[in-house]
Amino acid sequence: MTTRTILHMLSPRPQVSPFDINMAVDAGFDMIFPHASVEPSQVYSLTQDIIFSRGPSGVKKTAIFIGGRDIGIALDMMETTKQAMVPPFEVSVLADPSGAFTTATAMVALVEKQLREHHGQDLQGKRAIVFGGTGPVGISTGVIASLAGADVTIVDHLSLDTAMQIAEEYNHRCGSTLKGTFASSGASKAWLVTRADVIFNATKAGIQVLDEEMLETAERLKVVGDVNAVPPPGIAGIKSKDLGTPLSTAPNSPGVVSVGPLAVGNIKYKLQNAMLKDLLQLDKPVYFDFHEAFTRARKLV
Amino acid sequence: MEKPYILHMLTTEKNLSPFDVNMAQDAGWQVTMPYLCIAESEVRSLIQDAIFSRGPSGVKRTAAFIGGRDPELAVKMLNTARESMVPPFEISVLADPSGAFTTAAAMVAAAERELGKKFSTDLTDKNIIILAGTGPVGQIAAVLCAKSGAKVAIFGRKKEKSERIANLCNAFFGEGNIQIQAQGNDELEKYLPTADVVFATGAAGIQLLSAEQVASAPNLKVAADVNAVPPPGIAGIDAMADGTPIEGSTSGAVGIGALAIGNIKYKAHQRLLQLMRDSASPVYLHYDQAFAIAREYIQSQS
Repeated sequence: MTTRTILHMLSPRPQVSPFDINMAVDAGFDMIFPHASVEPSQVYSLTQDIIFSRGPSGVKKTAIFIGGRDIGIALDMMETTKQAMVPPFEVSVLADPSGAFTTATAMVALVEKQLREHHGQDLQGKRAIVFGGTGPVGISTGVIASLAGADVTIVDHLSLDTAMQIAEEYNHRCGSTLKGTFASSGASKAWLVTRADVIFNATKAGIQVLDEEMLETAERLKVVGDVNAVPPPGIAGIKSKDLGTPLSTAPNSPGVVSVGPLAVGNIKYKLQNAMLKDLLQLDKPVYFDFHEAFTRARKLV
Repeated sequence: MEKPYILHMLTTEKNLSPFDVNMAQDAGWQVTMPYLCIAESEVRSLIQDAIFSRGPSGVKRTAAFIGGRDPELAVKMLNTARESMVPPFEISVLADPSGAFTTAAAMVAAAERELGKKFSTDLTDKNIIILAGTGPVGQIAAVLCAKSGAKVAIFGRKKEKSERIANLCNAFFGEGNIQIQAQGNDELEKYLPTADVVFATGAAGIQLLSAEQVASAPNLKVAADVNAVPPPGIAGIDAMADGTPIEGSTSGAVGIGALAIGNIKYKAHQRLLQLMRDSASPVYLHYDQAFAIAREYIQSQS
């Protein structure tokens, strides 16, 4: 009998996400095993438990997925798995909490591509605003865009402290140069939009963060991206399938185009599927986080 | 490679029932994924997580099962799940807490079969007593009978509890269209003379109706007992009884035992699980569909 492939799915949350479980099954893992409510302090011993029972050939058929909703915790957990490996007893690890790394890299890569195709520019020095910037997808989007050279401000809808604290934490952790701010009123959002080259929306599904009136103030907007697939659109005028589609709701920014949630979702899906498959197909163990996801997303688009 | 069939199995309890896991695997669900200690408030996000990652062809091979022990909660969770779908991203859902929906459906359908076969009648206007009827199987059996036109009384040790459960059945499961009565066990002697059907849905090993009480029911036609552990819940019905005359009945009543009910329950449960795999459009299944499918199975056997 051939050795079956096993994916151990770790999450600090009470449940491993059914989204990720579906993805893992469809990527071809024979056996999916959920480990829910995992504390970061358990990761070292869980990892060693995972690597030692299947022999040197068995580890090549074994991998770890790290989910949850907090990207800081997921990155820490991934670091712990690395430290726990005892070569040749070593398995591949993919971290994608809330699907944030694959979603954010897909959105940033698509927006970057539209920027090049429609405006002949890259992200270097562009002013980028991330609404929903303190959630997992928002933080990841901010970090990735910042590492790609953009001047990124992450926006919390309630608290300046939260936004600044998160910006500082992830700048320290990931080497980005995020700024944080908050905007709850239409006026404050309109003011942020005025100066933006690029807007990313990563707010919760079903919330319209920018309406037509706020978008009217945008004077230099080039590309907008939105991950929210549940109506109404997070940014007025964006449609699900948009991909380099002119955005009619920002009349004072000629040439602005949009990237809709289905376009993002499509790349995200391919990205996550390919990374899950490659956990067992490469010669040596791999550790995939948003760096790998972004490299691949850029190639994919 | 075709996408595997995935069943996301939610329970409010610490453990899924291994019975349900076995059934799902045998019905062709290749991946049966447990989600434990689920609160009603988590259902929406879990379901929306489950529907979006497999594409339109994948959702046809994905479904959810809702277990736990509480019928009211399971139906609420089923409703929430249904409302969380975002067409065309929608999946089928089956609720069967403690197996109560399929067990009650099997028991009532089997009793209906015997009423037809031995007494040329049906559930309409029958006086039905449900002993130890406040549990999951009892309450759902009461609802199914009442919706079929029977006059139902739930009996229990404490009348207050019987009343609470009857109110729940009438208002929630019956949406105000049924009138199930509630009684304490001390009223049983008064009701037995008019009873047409008696169901015993109590815990294993407790006798709820004695031989003398069976003899004191001159209109009794069918009695059924879900309890497979001796002594029987109703004197004179053993676990294998399947339309077998009850010794000592003055009215020629027949009995249905736990194994006969279990057999129909098994078929109904299996068919519901298969229906979620085979249906072209998503289906949302609880005790009503379980009853319809149990009736269908019984008809296919006659």
